Amino acid sequence: MTDEMTTSVQLGARHLTRHFSVRTPGRLFAAKRIVRAVDDVSLDLVGGEVVAVVGESGSGKSVLARMLARIVTPTSGDLVLQGKPIAIKSKRTLDYASQVQLVLQDPFASMNPVHRMSHNLLRPLLIHGASKQDAPAMAEAALRRVSLEPPSRYLESYPHELSGGQLQRVSIARALCIEPKVLLADEPISMLDVSVRLGVLNLLRGLCDNDRLAILYITHDIASARYIADSIIVMYAGEVVEQSRGTTLVDEPTHPYTQLLIASVPDPSDPTRDTPPTGEHAQIEIAEKGCRFSPRCPHVMDRCREEEPPAFIVGENHTSKCWLYADHDAAVEVALPTRRKEGETATT
Amino acid sequence: MTTESVGVGDVVKRDDTTTPPTNRTSPQVVASTIPKEGAMGERILDVRDFSVDYGWGENAVRAVESVDLHLDRSKVLGIAGESGSGKSTLVYAITRLLRAPGVITSGEARFNLGSNDDGERVIDLVTASERELRSIRWSSISIVLQSALSALNPVVRVGAQFEQVLKSHRRAMSKVDRRARAAELLGLVGLNSDRLDRYPHELSGGQRQRIMIALALALDPQLVIMDEPTTALDVVTQREIIGELFELRERFGFAMIFITHDLSLLTELADEIVVMYAGALVERASARELYEAPRHPYTLGLLNSFPPMHGEHTELFGIPGSPPDLAHLPTGCRFHPRCPYAWARCANESPPLIEIEGSGRSVSCWLHVADANVAVPVELSRVSTSKASPSERAKEVSS
Repeated sequence: MTDEMTTSVQLGARHLTRHFSVRTPGRLFAAKRIVRAVDDVSLDLVGGEVVAVVGESGSGKSVLARMLARIVTPTSGDLVLQGKPIAIKSKRTLDYASQVQLVLQDPFASMNPVHRMSHNLLRPLLIHGASKQDAPAMAEAALRRVSLEPPSRYLESYPHELSGGQLQRVSIARALCIEPKVLLADEPISMLDVSVRLGVLNLLRGLCDNDRLAILYITHDIASARYIADSIIVMYAGEVVEQSRGTTLVDEPTHPYTQLLIASVPDPSDPTRDTPPTGEHAQIEIAEKGCRFSPRCPHVMDRCREEEPPAFIVGENHTSKCWLYADHDAAVEVALPTRRKEGETATT
Repeated sequence: MTTESVGVGDVVKRDDTTTPPTNRTSPQVVASTIPKEGAMGERILDVRDFSVDYGWGENAVRAVESVDLHLDRSKVLGIAGESGSGKSTLVYAITRLLRAPGVITSGEARFNLGSNDDGERVIDLVTASERELRSIRWSSISIVLQSALSALNPVVRVGAQFEQVLKSHRRAMSKVDRRARAAELLGLVGLNSDRLDRYPHELSGGQRQRIMIALALALDPQLVIMDEPTTALDVVTQREIIGELFELRERFGFAMIFITHDLSLLTELADEIVVMYAGALVERASARELYEAPRHPYTLGLLNSFPPMHGEHTELFGIPGSPPDLAHLPTGCRFHPRCPYAWARCANESPPLIEIEGSGRSVSCWLHVADANVAVPVELSRVSTSKASPSERAKEVSS
């Protein structure tokens, strides 16, 4: 990581953790159980880069996004916004919200259905201190940025009059109109029609390249992560199991979970391919001890059931949290690059 | 309404501007290989000129426009399309599960119940009485819906839901037998029989969907309809369920209609695929041909909307614009406002679904008619190299 890149880190997260305590449903007096929704996740969102977080439902990826947006309070961990540490337990400040914006999955649910788009777009502007005279022009400029032309037509319409793709563009415009530095996109395309998904992905990529926005792209679709991202993080059961810069992780997956995930994606370009070997599906339980993927892992060893693996370096800017790589050439037990303490220099 | 086949030439005369945009007179050219009357043979379902409206009179919106479909025994037909393309409406209407304001306005859907001593028993699902439908539903045609949580009764244990099905269709079965059959069915989809005592909310999404599949197979149907069965699931679970489904199909030999928006999934599992856009069929071809050599610009756009998992990074563009509102369809070809290859004719006349000579596949596009005065673009005239369908490949592997 060069100095230039370090300085452009817009939002950094260190050891971000969120535990929920739950009771077994229907058992009022049963002891509470801790669900580790997100465990020790560190990442850097850099201006001009897209970081993709890939995981299945329940992997904690949305909780991670909400912690970064400071809607969910982390159990522990640190957030650093543009070099300034944030007091994570305190209330989110307006200043934080003006720098970090969240776009949600369902564009129909994230717009007030009884108001025109102008209301939906002007509200954040007025809250964040734009004057009443300037706000409409700023809203129009935001709509132009997401290629909704002419903006006046969209400002006058109600949510039900627009298609899903258009609405998702409006909700991106709404997030952008106050000029944030970080955009958190939680499954922005999964509710959209297949034919308009790429348009929204290309839009996000363009915002990142042209406006140097730092984007976190959360998805369950690893192919779209490969398409858009500068670095990819794979989460399983609240933990980062594998991460790489570029698409190394998709092209040469090392963690058994990533391998399973990639083998499961429909790929018509390979007609001879058979169904991949999968773990016993009856055991989608998460191990309490050791590696969380161990009950489903085809390569499980005794050690996996006992000890939690650290992240091993498996290639350039590529780490994998799996004991299989304990004896790897670069057999140094390392922390993830992003987990490095402040001020430390790169070793890879 | 008659179901007579109309020649290609007849289409061209439709230039009267008084016809509403939901062009009801648009004729479809039916592949001549299908015998209209008489024996269906291997064909299990034959749907002709099938149209469905939502609403009546002036405000009616045509959701499905003159669709022709056919499916052979033990084959898999994939229906691909985006939301609002009419794919679910089509199968709900064929199975007569469609509720008002949905109305079947034309067509027939002949279902082959198999042969007995009197010969072949064929029933037209469109005109069948409630009583006839009752005897066919579940035992001959069953359906698996997208949302298992809303399809299963939330206040009844899983076992009792199997019980209800078996009790109403297999009167002679004893209670012990019913329980045994339910446990056997769960075993087929890889679930332990202790799941019978659970409520739906106690199970994971994948387990619920497996239970839906087990329920659908309870009475050994000849045709199973899958309406986006795996869309709400994770890819790993999806892969497992699809794998199991195909093992079951090998074993019991039922035919399948598989509906999904995920064209890349469909090309892996279907024998034949039809692509729907705004209520009409735009292309029909074998799965490999459709994937390797699409003919309709919409199919091509749809295929290019899925980022690839390997190879060079290239920028993809999907399809510009968004799907039309069915109440305000564009004139001519429904796809022309979004089509990069549209020419003069496309804006004025609606193209019929025409069989491409000698290929057994059909496309509804003015680029591919004989008298088109524009050249067919390279990407829409590729030649498919592999012809084998998934079930043929499976046969090769097993033999």
